[in-house]
Amino acid sequence: MIAVIKFPGTTCESDVYKALLEAGVQAKVVKHQEFDPDKYSGVILPGGFSFGDYLRAGSIASNTEAVKLVKEIADNGKPVIGICNGFQILVESGLLKGALLPNLKLRFISKWTYLKVVRFDTVLTRGLGKNIIRMPIAHAEGRYYIDDVDYAKSHMVIQYVDEMGKPTEKANPNGSLLNIASVANEEGNVIGLMPHPERASFKLISPDGSTDGLLLLRGLAKWA
Amino acid sequence: MGVNLLPIEMDEVRRRLGREPNEAEWKVLDAVWSEHCSYKSSKVFLKSFPTEGENVVMGIEDWQDAGAIDIGDGWAIVLKVESHNHPSAVDPFNGAATGVGGIIRDIISKGAKPIALLDMIRVGDIRSDRTRWLLKNIIAGIAFYGNSIGVPVVGGELAFDESFNDNPLVDVACVGVVRKDKIIPSVVKEPGLKLVLVGLTGVDGLGGASFASRKLSGEDEIGAVQIADPFAGKIVLDATLEVSDKVEAIKDLGGGGLAVAVTEIANGLGAIVNIEKIPLRVKGMDPIDIVVSETQERMLYAVKPNKVDEVCEIFKQYEYPCTVIGEIVKDPYIKFRYNNKDIVTLPSDILLNPPRFIWPIRRKEKDSVKKETKSSISLKDALYTVLSHPDLVSKEWVYSQYDYEVNTSTVVKPGEADSAVLLLPNGKLLAVKGDANPDLCEEDSYECGKGIFAEAYRNLASVGAKGIVAVDHLQFGDPKKPEVYNDFVDAVRGIGEAARFFNIPIVGGKVSFYNENNRGIPIKPTPLIVMAGIVQGKFLRNRVEEDTYIVLLGYTRGELGGSLFSKIFNVISDVPKVRLQEDLLASQVVLELINDEKIIFAKDVNKGGLAYSLFSIVHNGFGVSINDKNVIADTDDLKRILFSESSGRFILLSNDPDWIIRKANSKGIVASVIGNVDKNSGVLEINGEKFDLNKLVDYYRYFLEEEMING
Repeated sequence: MIAVIKFPGTTCESDVYKALLEAGVQAKVVKHQEFDPDKYSGVILPGGFSFGDYLRAGSIASNTEAVKLVKEIADNGKPVIGICNGFQILVESGLLKGALLPNLKLRFISKWTYLKVVRFDTVLTRGLGKNIIRMPIAHAEGRYYIDDVDYAKSHMVIQYVDEMGKPTEKANPNGSLLNIASVANEEGNVIGLMPHPERASFKLISPDGSTDGLLLLRGLAKWA
Repeated sequence: MGVNLLPIEMDEVRRRLGREPNEAEWKVLDAVWSEHCSYKSSKVFLKSFPTEGENVVMGIEDWQDAGAIDIGDGWAIVLKVESHNHPSAVDPFNGAATGVGGIIRDIISKGAKPIALLDMIRVGDIRSDRTRWLLKNIIAGIAFYGNSIGVPVVGGELAFDESFNDNPLVDVACVGVVRKDKIIPSVVKEPGLKLVLVGLTGVDGLGGASFASRKLSGEDEIGAVQIADPFAGKIVLDATLEVSDKVEAIKDLGGGGLAVAVTEIANGLGAIVNIEKIPLRVKGMDPIDIVVSETQERMLYAVKPNKVDEVCEIFKQYEYPCTVIGEIVKDPYIKFRYNNKDIVTLPSDILLNPPRFIWPIRRKEKDSVKKETKSSISLKDALYTVLSHPDLVSKEWVYSQYDYEVNTSTVVKPGEADSAVLLLPNGKLLAVKGDANPDLCEEDSYECGKGIFAEAYRNLASVGAKGIVAVDHLQFGDPKKPEVYNDFVDAVRGIGEAARFFNIPIVGGKVSFYNENNRGIPIKPTPLIVMAGIVQGKFLRNRVEEDTYIVLLGYTRGELGGSLFSKIFNVISDVPKVRLQEDLLASQVVLELINDEKIIFAKDVNKGGLAYSLFSIVHNGFGVSINDKNVIADTDDLKRILFSESSGRFILLSNDPDWIIRKANSKGIVASVIGNVDKNSGVLEINGEKFDLNKLVDYYRYFLEEEMING
């Protein structure tokens, strides 16, 4: 059973839950105070504005008891996925290295993007059928930055690319280092990603009928 | 803070009360009897709207916070439109943000889950620094609130006109869904219920309803603007939906604060409120300021005494203040008490029944400065000038700031079609759209009232939906000015007539008067319609393909009055008469074509006329070639054919045009093939003459983004 953790201000918990069901992954939405790590085999921190993001995106949530327990789950090698605000929480809490800075345009950006998967040894990307996928982004602070470029190169999972699969500057929606859209830890069980796989999991609401988000989320099935 | 009541209203108060009210009572009366809250200049005419229908679950007659309509399978949708015009002129970020918060609380006060927002924005000349500052902050405010609260902004409008230089119009509509048998009323039926208030009360928004009921003074009015706190709004949203089955009535605290909320929830019964129990954000507030404060993110619940703890327990989980502040009583007086001393004692009847006014009307003098169509305007100039108007450029800069896909239910997204389409919990698809046309209303607000209703209906049809319900928002200057009031009455008549014709009930609305600048110049009359409809079987996701035929459905009439072309080139011409039957029949044909999968693209012909509809194909990366002789029109003048905004028309793309023409003819509608789509990217060919619009296409895509970077 995968726990989808809801903080006050989380907005995407139901979407992630619906998409996990669609992907055949058993899941439950859990309020952060009620999270019991012993009951779950993995965690998703969904998108939104945890605690209003009033201090810095993800900052207050990263200091909650729930995130301390999430660290235990991660240390045990179980999957911990942070989507959008969840990714921000993962970097704020130190579960992933680096930082998510305000977008270069200094505003919220919502759009569908082409993405290229570059690491296939993570819980989400292992055995993925293809490497160019489409998913939407929606964030104001998604510019991944780390001063260790070698680390970034070896840990990045997904990059923003153009239609041809090239990580061009124009294809970079927020100014991320190396067009990074997603990174994982060494072991590949803790992954943060700015794009929303749950929004690319239903044929009806996808502009071109693709459901690439499901390909990623299905990776959790064997854990659930 | 002064009192804005008219001398005759003050005399009526004294007469009906039999005494002179004290200062606190005047302040309560000022809020409750404000134009904003009481509809005193508009209600008589609003009564003419059709509000009944077999599917109406809750309408205007019930005068609840929002109307509701049955959509089958035990579900209802709740729809409401509001504006925050005055606050947005003073503090655009907070003004626009609190507008979103307010409309969301209207929806949750029915126990409904908000599923979509629409924002219709009208600002002044984009070349002005102040306009860009206003626009940037208005959009940022909407995005800040809408994104944080997790309700997608799925559509809207952005238009520019100098008449909105000082008075931006910031309209926001919200759609919610609720089980039909779980709709919560906003009024109580029995005494003995406890009044439970959640949230803290502060000093922001003092006298806001009164502020919205007079023209902008140009002085510092920022204290009347409320401050937005979307995180608190999100808690109120989540917690209200959790407690909704434990309460008897829910009332959003909007204009007029507690004074209005308590009066309206009591609905003729009495209420006693103990002011000292109201939790405050700041110390030392004057008791009566607490009563009229319009601080956001507060809700009032009427709760059975034995359920109070259960309700407040849920708010406690979110560490959100939840307090019993009083109760509903049988004695029909609204009493505000401070430390056991009654500071306000007013009969419910007086508060709920302000005087109604019917002001004098007078038709305005027609502007005689405008001239006949200038033959000197070249077709190329006309095309470039009209198509580069900021009303017609891509609005991606706006909607990309909105989290329009949260809730994973946005099927047809902003920028994709003339309406947004949403997936409902019962599996049906809902289309929504808001429409206004101030340029046309300035010419003739009666035809305009019909026209915007018909346009909304066509917009829904273009994605495959049949309109089922509407709400209206009527935005004008000072109603005491006879020309302004005339426009108001005419707009109401036009809207009501169209609503009856289409058999679409109007289940709610709002009136916003006093949209004037500090020199007393009113905005162009801007009634606005928000319509929702259900997809009838299949829906259309627009796509453009080479070698498809362009079919024009409906008659083109060379009436240029109120069009963008006429506005830009100062042309005098007839105002388009809205032939509602043509709109209805053409829309029915489009619905059938979508269900028979005979078309791949549908666009209602409206602002910018046929020229803009064709450009919508071009900016998708294709070329278009047409012959104007094939347009079925009442004129040979090419400019009239291209730029007329007469109603009842659609542009369609199809591989089977003969089938469409036969279908249209069988329904009493004309249709013709006027050209085809080709691969000459960016080229519009008219009668063999080629216009390279590639620069315009770039301009269309990047104008707003670039203009606003320099904002």
